[in-house]
Amino acid sequence: MSVRHDSPPSPASPAATDSAESNASRSHGRRAARRFSGLGRIVAFFALIAALAYGFDALVTAGLRRISTSKFGALNQVVGGRVNADIVVNGSSRALVHYDPRILEQETGLTAFNLGMNATHIDVQLAILRTYLRHNRKPRLVIQNLEAFTFVTTRKGEIYDPPLYVPYLDEPELYRTLATIDPVVRKWRYIPMYGYAIEDLRFTWVRGLLAWGGIQPWEDYIKGFNPRNLQWTEDFERFKAAVGDGLTYEVEPAGVQALRDLIALCREAGVELLLVYSPEYFEAQGLVRNREEIFAAFRRLTAETGVPLWDFSGSTLARRRDLFYNSQHLNVTGATLFSQELSRRLRDEYAGRLGKGAERR
Amino acid sequence: MLFNSIEFAFFFPIVCGLYFALPQAARIYLLLVASCVFYMAFVPAYILILAITIVIDYVAGIYLERVAGRARTVLLVVSIVATCLVLFVFKYFAFFTGSFVGFASLFGWKVTNPTLDIILPIGLSFHTFQSLSYVVEVYRGHQKAERDFTIYATYVMFFPQLVAGPIERPQNLLGQFREYHAFDYLRVVGGLKRMAWGFFKKLVVADRLAIYVNDVYAAPQSHHGLQLTIATVFFAYQIYCDFSGYSDIAIGTARVLGFKLMENFDTPYHSRSVGEFWRRWHMSLSTWFRDYVYVPLGGSRVGPIRRARNILVTFGISGLWHGANWTYVLWGVLNGVYLIVSWITQPIVARLFGAVRLREDHPLRQALLIAGTFFLTCAAWVLFRAQSLADAGYIYTHWLHDWNWQSLATANFSERQFIPALAAVVILELIQVINRRVPLGEKVTRLPTVLRWPAYAGFIFAVILFGVYRSNQFIYFQF
Repeated sequence: MSVRHDSPPSPASPAATDSAESNASRSHGRRAARRFSGLGRIVAFFALIAALAYGFDALVTAGLRRISTSKFGALNQVVGGRVNADIVVNGSSRALVHYDPRILEQETGLTAFNLGMNATHIDVQLAILRTYLRHNRKPRLVIQNLEAFTFVTTRKGEIYDPPLYVPYLDEPELYRTLATIDPVVRKWRYIPMYGYAIEDLRFTWVRGLLAWGGIQPWEDYIKGFNPRNLQWTEDFERFKAAVGDGLTYEVEPAGVQALRDLIALCREAGVELLLVYSPEYFEAQGLVRNREEIFAAFRRLTAETGVPLWDFSGSTLARRRDLFYNSQHLNVTGATLFSQELSRRLRDEYAGRLGKGAERR
Repeated sequence: MLFNSIEFAFFFPIVCGLYFALPQAARIYLLLVASCVFYMAFVPAYILILAITIVIDYVAGIYLERVAGRARTVLLVVSIVATCLVLFVFKYFAFFTGSFVGFASLFGWKVTNPTLDIILPIGLSFHTFQSLSYVVEVYRGHQKAERDFTIYATYVMFFPQLVAGPIERPQNLLGQFREYHAFDYLRVVGGLKRMAWGFFKKLVVADRLAIYVNDVYAAPQSHHGLQLTIATVFFAYQIYCDFSGYSDIAIGTARVLGFKLMENFDTPYHSRSVGEFWRRWHMSLSTWFRDYVYVPLGGSRVGPIRRARNILVTFGISGLWHGANWTYVLWGVLNGVYLIVSWITQPIVARLFGAVRLREDHPLRQALLIAGTFFLTCAAWVLFRAQSLADAGYIYTHWLHDWNWQSLATANFSERQFIPALAAVVILELIQVINRRVPLGEKVTRLPTVLRWPAYAGFIFAVILFGVYRSNQFIYFQF
């Protein structure tokens, strides 16, 4: 029997089966659509929220990178390749508040910049120096500030002030180092708003938004230096009472290796490196039980690598409480005196090696 | 797993997606597996302790229906003792042995304090009480024993309320696991809104206030009277927002999936008496103690002395439930004393108000009663939050000393942080007050999408940006 192609399909014909299936499928689709009615709106809403979050994150990051004052301003200069100083100081908060680049410039005739960052350890300091070298002309001298905890690396969960790093997580050295220390850094980078909202109690995102309106944070940094006009507080007495018979800072192999890497980095870049132990209030020095062990490690490294170490912990400045605001940090007067003392010594001992500026003085 | 974690942000949509995609028969297994994953995210081994409680009460429930007479009562007692024994070992062993050793030393006896060196599994008190309510209800004949082990295990472990309640009754929750919950847009959105409100309470209010409270209560001796007072008021809001925020998230999470959990808080700080406060605070626990402790003791249908005793016993146990420390016990007893005193003085207070012509509905009378109740509650919270009785004593005796308005900040809470903290409390109260007159949620739902979505988005962004995420745990987890 021939099948008339123009006749209406019978239920047994393939066309009819297709149509039935298609009707069933449509009906199933309609049922499913009814069953999940409104789901699309919910998904669309959360997709919109996610898109807004990404947009907001980008807006805040771009805003923070527009800042020209405060620590963000200093970091923006670094990653923008706008520093290009002859002398670069690297280290933690002790570096940050102890080295006045204006005095270094005045005494040596060379340009200077302070890379010091609050509560950073040697591993992060190394990443910061690498980032600096990646974007800027290589300096003539790097001064790496040391402290009793130089060989202690950053612990997981102890990266201080995370939002300060979030706008710069596209810097490979910085990101790699931070993500190795704490895997949560991956969330800072890839989950929108995580770094600004979850990790921040200081509403840093507000600064990022304000920067778009040209409102800059208060300027408390001068060429990366953050002078502290503070008086001696009672923190040290409390600290002394708390630690009792003193405390020990571990000489971690990873910490030693980080300092070694920093020395190698400067050597490979052809940059002169100077290790400096800036003044530390003399009473606090006695509280570090293994101070000898730490200094022995410093001496071993300098003997091996030939990098000089200038130790100012025995300086007369270290005995004057009026020059400190706590046992580790000089106030602005102390920083001025220390920077002058260091600059003079630099001028005297490095005149030949640092080139024309230093010689000129 | 914490509700306020990135893990939950992935976990919940996945569970919801699977739940609505699966046929009804498979959903119970999904909920059980999801609940196990949720609980094991804290400490995986703890699930074994939970399993012990589940098996004990599941078997007890079935046998309670089979036996009769004295054997039935014995079985009930055995099951309660066995369930409570788990709680005792993990939560109270150190407390009781420590107290005994301390007591013995008063008489010059030298007793070595035995230690088990174990940590309290999260939410143990909550699921223990939920299990207990099941066996008691089966014993009383109010609930049929559950034969399906999966359903019973899910009833105890249901992840939205597993670690911090609301403590459900079997009559309300067990049957819901057999019902088919279709995807309902309005219900799901309602649940999500409830969750968002809970996150606001927890992240924006409770966790910011917690920074101040933690600083002050860690070393009360290093802070002046004004700081102690602020920290205590902050703690009142912290614990309310922490716990009611958790309950809101739990209720919202369950509602998204189609479950209706009991309400746990009803703006308790708007109460006009301590009795009313306890009817509006942690209602699932208060009613638990009413039904299973206070009423069996004789409740209010006894003479005044026994009634007072019943109140003190109930509140004393309630304090102990909150924590294995004398501070909690005293906190419970103090609340019991408040209730007894307010019960005795109620006619006098009414007469005093009558004498100054302040009728019951007069706003000033209401405000005075609310303020008075809040003050008494705050005074009791000192015991609850203090790390020791000595600290609590110090706070009580130094509340009014050296109020220094120039130095309000603490080590981790700068003066600038008062702005978002106080703003959050004011917004919370405003929304609660407005919500009592005009249901805001319904109002927003009726707005056109073009206004509604920005409102929702704005609220979500505000919670994300003004939230604090460092003190992750919910206070009540430890109970």
